[in-house]
Amino acid sequence: MDITSWQFLALIAVTLTVYILLPQKYRWTALLAASIVFYAAGGAAAMAYLLVTSVTTYFCARCIDALAAKRANLDAAEKKATRPAFDRKRHILVAAACLINFGMLFAVKYFDGVIALVTHGQGPALGLIVPVGISFYIFQSVGYVIDVSRGKARAERNYLKYLLFVSFFPQMVQGPIDRFGHLHPQLMEGRRPTADNARDGIQLMMWGFFKKLVIAGRAGTVVNAIYSDAGAYPGSAIAFAVLMYTIELYCDFSGGIDIVRGTAEIFGIDMAENFKRPFFATSLAEFWRRWHITLGAWMRDYVFYPLSLSRAFAAIGRFSRKHINGTVGRILPTSLATFIIYFIIGIWHGANLTYLAYGFYNGGIITLSIILAPFYGRVRKALRVNEESGLYRAFCVVRTFFVVFVGRYFVRAPWLKMSFVMLKRTVCDFYISALWPTVTGLGMTLSDLAVVLAGFAVILAFELIEERGVNIRESLAKRGFFVQWAAMVLPLLVILLLGVLGGGGGGEFIYGRI
Amino acid sequence: MSSKKWLITFTCTVVAICLLLLVGNVLVDPFGVFGDPIFHWDSYSQTLNPRVGKIEYLDRHHEEYDSYILGCSSTSSFPVEKLNEYLDAKFYNLFTYGADMLDVEQFARYIIDNYTVKNILLNVYIDNGSVYAEPGDINGSMHYKVDGSSKFDFYKKFIFLDPNYALDKVKRYFADEYLSEPYDVFWTPTGSYDKRERDVEPIGGLSEYEALPAYSDFADYPTYPVPLNVIDETMESVARIKQMCEDAGINLIVVSGPVYSGYMRGVPREDAGEFYSALAAVTPFWDFTMSSVSTEPRYFYDLTHFRNCVGEMALARIFGDKSVYIPEDFGVYVEGDSSAELLARNDAILDAEPASLTPEARVPVLLYHNIVPDGEEGFTASQLEGQLSALRDAGYTAVSFSELEDYVYRGADLPEKSVVITFDDGYASNYELAYPLLKKYGMKATIFVIGVSVGHKQYYKDTLFELTPHFDEAEMLEMSNSGLVSIQSHSYDMHQWAPFESGDRVREDIKRFKGESEEDFVAAVKEDFELSRTKIEAVTGKTVDVLAFPEGIYDELSQWALLDSGVNVTLSCRHGVNTLVKGLPQCLSAMYRIYADGYATGDELLSSIDSLT
Repeated sequence: MDITSWQFLALIAVTLTVYILLPQKYRWTALLAASIVFYAAGGAAAMAYLLVTSVTTYFCARCIDALAAKRANLDAAEKKATRPAFDRKRHILVAAACLINFGMLFAVKYFDGVIALVTHGQGPALGLIVPVGISFYIFQSVGYVIDVSRGKARAERNYLKYLLFVSFFPQMVQGPIDRFGHLHPQLMEGRRPTADNARDGIQLMMWGFFKKLVIAGRAGTVVNAIYSDAGAYPGSAIAFAVLMYTIELYCDFSGGIDIVRGTAEIFGIDMAENFKRPFFATSLAEFWRRWHITLGAWMRDYVFYPLSLSRAFAAIGRFSRKHINGTVGRILPTSLATFIIYFIIGIWHGANLTYLAYGFYNGGIITLSIILAPFYGRVRKALRVNEESGLYRAFCVVRTFFVVFVGRYFVRAPWLKMSFVMLKRTVCDFYISALWPTVTGLGMTLSDLAVVLAGFAVILAFELIEERGVNIRESLAKRGFFVQWAAMVLPLLVILLLGVLGGGGGGEFIYGRI
Repeated sequence: MSSKKWLITFTCTVVAICLLLLVGNVLVDPFGVFGDPIFHWDSYSQTLNPRVGKIEYLDRHHEEYDSYILGCSSTSSFPVEKLNEYLDAKFYNLFTYGADMLDVEQFARYIIDNYTVKNILLNVYIDNGSVYAEPGDINGSMHYKVDGSSKFDFYKKFIFLDPNYALDKVKRYFADEYLSEPYDVFWTPTGSYDKRERDVEPIGGLSEYEALPAYSDFADYPTYPVPLNVIDETMESVARIKQMCEDAGINLIVVSGPVYSGYMRGVPREDAGEFYSALAAVTPFWDFTMSSVSTEPRYFYDLTHFRNCVGEMALARIFGDKSVYIPEDFGVYVEGDSSAELLARNDAILDAEPASLTPEARVPVLLYHNIVPDGEEGFTASQLEGQLSALRDAGYTAVSFSELEDYVYRGADLPEKSVVITFDDGYASNYELAYPLLKKYGMKATIFVIGVSVGHKQYYKDTLFELTPHFDEAEMLEMSNSGLVSIQSHSYDMHQWAPFESGDRVREDIKRFKGESEEDFVAAVKEDFELSRTKIEAVTGKTVDVLAFPEGIYDELSQWALLDSGVNVTLSCRHGVNTLVKGLPQCLSAMYRIYADGYATGDELLSSIDSLT
């Protein structure tokens, strides 16, 4: 089910009505039913994967919980004595949950790609259809097992209640990857949603629809064609397509998340934030702390820290400090872990060398910037740059945007070589005069471009206001009726006319004159 | 505003916007699914989506019809009027653009189940073998009544339609013109494309035709592959249509329409063979796919769309109408698998290219006005005689326009070197000086008279302004009775003389007044021609169906008004020699003429004609 479809809106309306009517204790069943309806619309096969994940993680967590419960009544000495055995068992259970679920994810999402890559397309293929949102709920469920294993959360005893945590419908398509301790209590609490919740949720959803339907859809017009056959286009058109893709990706992804979080908010449920104005980041590392935050946090908590604190990394650290002088020796283990994280994030997107390159690109730049930090410090000092000045911050923001922009050459290209072809053409065969004819030739009109750029400017303007610490919602709520009404009608009309209904108009009559 | 108040306001706003959209879309109704309560503009909605628009129209009007034409867009060119004549039926052309055989099958089932159907003409075009069950967008989707899809989705789509559709419709409604526009391409009563402009466009030599922007594709026709990979599915649909017709006792005529040879080159030979065999296995059919017609660009609007006149020839072949010109090799009735012969025929035609195999004739039309006696200033009788004798000596035969019509419409022969002699305005000198010479040389001529000036020997109309004398009715009758002179129309009173007319609107030629509506202009042209025709026919008793445009000035509207009034030949003053093509009436439209009285001698005239030929 598409989260921009009327069916989704109808599902919300029906679920909300039932949710409010039910006694508080049973309200979660309405959410579960809605989640099953939502996911079942995607087909039975998709349901099967969801069941495998929920059942395996449920049992692993329950087993760990049972082991922990057994130790609860032991005295300190006994606890200490049984600790290694307990640790071993819970690690095995976590590993089992990981193995089954990531194994399944690999089979569904990566197997064919990897085989094709290794055998140059000659090998066998499973041909499985990747179910919607599988990466998201697997990450979320495995995170839960680890949380239980770490004693941060108690395992849910009721499978159906747990299933709701795994399958909560708004987040099924693209996250955010929430934590059990944060989301599950809210789902179970069944608090009656307030009018404030509904208003805030609707506003957030509208913001999401605006980004996704009005901007992302239009920006995407030229993206497919140019990325798939970049060699045929002038560099200026390639750079334009990459820019459009940068806008499209942000508006589509963060817009989708806004719709998801807005939906949850209507039910009075606060979901984890996933984007925090990433284009105002002053460095690439900061960008990644603002972009797809829940994935980054998941990586940090479940991969980066365990890795950094592992015995192997401690050994590497000792070795590097001893044998490599200066900054490099000091930061080597952290850099290595960073590299691994970005490598995994790269792979997370799909089985393609482009993602691998993307991981290296990000990891490389971040590592390099850590290594070069002292040097930059000296340069800034020599040039007497005021780091607190707005101008310097603006410079950093633009620089970061540029770095992100170049990274987009890798994410979307069909294969790695194409990324380099695109980069080369952008530099060597720019041909600015060929830009507009190419763009219009691919079906993007001047009004489309105007909508994309104006829309993106509006987004950035709002984000700038928020970046300065103003709460737009609150300040809007203090304004008069007509201002608030205008702030409601205008976006509604824009979404309806430029998004939902397209704006195609009478269009061309291909058969008109024959 | 409290959040509660906000929510109430929001809900009201959303409901209001939805209602506004609903009311706007229902009232303006761009796709015509709500009965188009304000505009009643069927052609517009049919152009936006013919599958929906035509069914909506037929649901209201099917009692006016008892027979249907089915097929893709080329099917438009089978003229409904001719079928009605041949089968004594009331046909509607239920073709749609981009129709594949699944669309056609669904239409067939729908009309058989819901309407009275006596005959179906089914065009199984060769490229129907290349598309089947193509999903349609909003312009190509089927009516829910026809394909059984969701009624809810259907109306939801049109209620929550992009309001730009409605805005466009309103804008275009007020900008709409008399003849068809890209947004209203259908002629509602017949269901065919509105080809009024194409039916009157002057067509001459092949190279001229290919030089026109609309037809430049024919000059250097690109061949691109058209593999026929859904023949089986297509023919299964044809078989089901046939079965439905048999069960319901409907007369089914299956044809495969003509294709331009350049397009046929892209169809793999073996695929074409399979198409012929598979169709023959299902039903006997009339095959028009390839013939000499296919080699002639002037018979086509574009690669897969043949002209209305070709559709007329095809019907004449099917119904054995001898009064219409039909190329000998055009159309064969196929019963049983003749794919080998058909392929061999195709090969022969493609090998003979690029030379067009269509017969054509080059005919100069000479234009004279007043003749003066020898010794006076002007074009003298002796000069005319010199030109007539030079023409005779050069082997020219003077022919009438009805002979040209016979050539074009009925395929009759023309003398090898034909010329048409014409006199404009109807001056007395035509009777006094030219007529004796025509008799002397036995040469035919046509005189275009201005109805209102006939018999005005001295003064312009009822004024006292002197004018060159015009012959009277008795002289007109005498000339007409001789069999040499045909009297035709130069308008009744649309060749006025500005200085001597009262009133502020003077019609010096057949041109629209400033601010005159197109409807009024068409009506005025028709009315004027009726007066002219009535007056001439009352005197001569012979048909008037030729008109020379005063000053040679014409436009699509005047041409259409005249064609609709039964004028088969019109003449302009464009300088040139005409190319006549058998079966192509447009070559009689706004014909070229040579100002013969601008040449002093016969030799000068002849060399000018030669330079143009």
